[in-house]
Amino acid sequence: MSTAMNFSSKSFRPRAPDKGSFPLDHFGECKAFKEKFMKCLKGNSYDNSMCRLQSKDYLECRMDNQLMAKEPLEKLGFKDLMDKPSQENKEAKP
Amino acid sequence: MLLPILVRESLCCSKNSVLLTSSNIQTCIRGLQGKGARGLHSYAQGFLCRRVPSRLNPQIRGAKSRKSQTKQQEDEWRKRNKTVLTYIAAAGVGMIGMSYAAVPLYRLYCQASGLGGAAVAGHDAEQVETMKPVKDRIIKITFNADTHASMQWNFRPQQSEIYVVPGETALAFYRAKNPTDKPVIGISTYNVVPFEAGQYFNKIQCFCFEEQRLNPKEEVDMPVFFYIDPEFDEDPRMARVDTITLSYTFFEAKEGQKLHLPGYSPISLHS
Repeated sequence: MSTAMNFSSKSFRPRAPDKGSFPLDHFGECKAFKEKFMKCLKGNSYDNSMCRLQSKDYLECRMDNQLMAKEPLEKLGFKDLMDKPSQENKEAKP
Repeated sequence: MLLPILVRESLCCSKNSVLLTSSNIQTCIRGLQGKGARGLHSYAQGFLCRRVPSRLNPQIRGAKSRKSQTKQQEDEWRKRNKTVLTYIAAAGVGMIGMSYAAVPLYRLYCQASGLGGAAVAGHDAEQVETMKPVKDRIIKITFNADTHASMQWNFRPQQSEIYVVPGETALAFYRAKNPTDKPVIGISTYNVVPFEAGQYFNKIQCFCFEEQRLNPKEEVDMPVFFYIDPEFDEDPRMARVDTITLSYTFFEAKEGQKLHLPGYSPISLHS
């Protein structure tokens, strides 16, 4: 797993994911959303901050198709996307 | 005539017996012998010789009392040594017992305080909601995909890299294809490089540590939903870290086998 050479510093420990494992999307129900997300990433030189809306859509698709446990989007870190877009712009400017 | 002489000699001998040395005893006896009296003489000689040793006891008694004193001291030392040895042995046994007890005690302590890498679930769930993205620290996440030698899936990431900031949730995709004619069950584990950054890499949901079954000729997208802890920006050791590599490895799983989850207690994966 991790090299035994560094005793003092913390060695790597794989942790289980917080919400468990994604069930596989065997039927490709959310493939369209995924394609949109990938296109957005490629267009924005793989900057995640620009494509958060698409990732939110993908996760919503998963939740609708029983491929993910339903959760309020704030818990998934999309709180800023739930507010008005103008507020989001204000937050972007430090 | 002889009798008073004998008695006188014996009296003389008995008077001086306290200061008599062995040589004097012998001369006394010889003197008695010199008188030539038999029977009575021999009886008196026997009587005297028997009595004399008892008169010399004070000297020997003195030596014996010195010896008994040292014996007492020796006994004391021996007793003290025994108690000290018992204490040391008890301490040794206590240390061994403590080292055995330390394992469950440390486990309890880690669960209570959240140290040792085992994330306390409640703490993390709240954090995702309230964390603020650190917009000025951009980190590049590169993706790597591996399969075990005997695993025949085609497994690769769908993006080679992605730029995120700490405190912001991100989504990434891997693709896996089963080119064989039989359903194959795979199970995966992950690795984060650099190792110290691994503690800040939190996965909300992914496809690892559980069996994933792919039918023949099937291809699926596997997402990973993660975020970098905002405290990453405040850690001085992470000041120079700009690239984090996430690496997944797929192994083939036998039917019904469950990969033992890292960590101390069994965590149920299904939310």
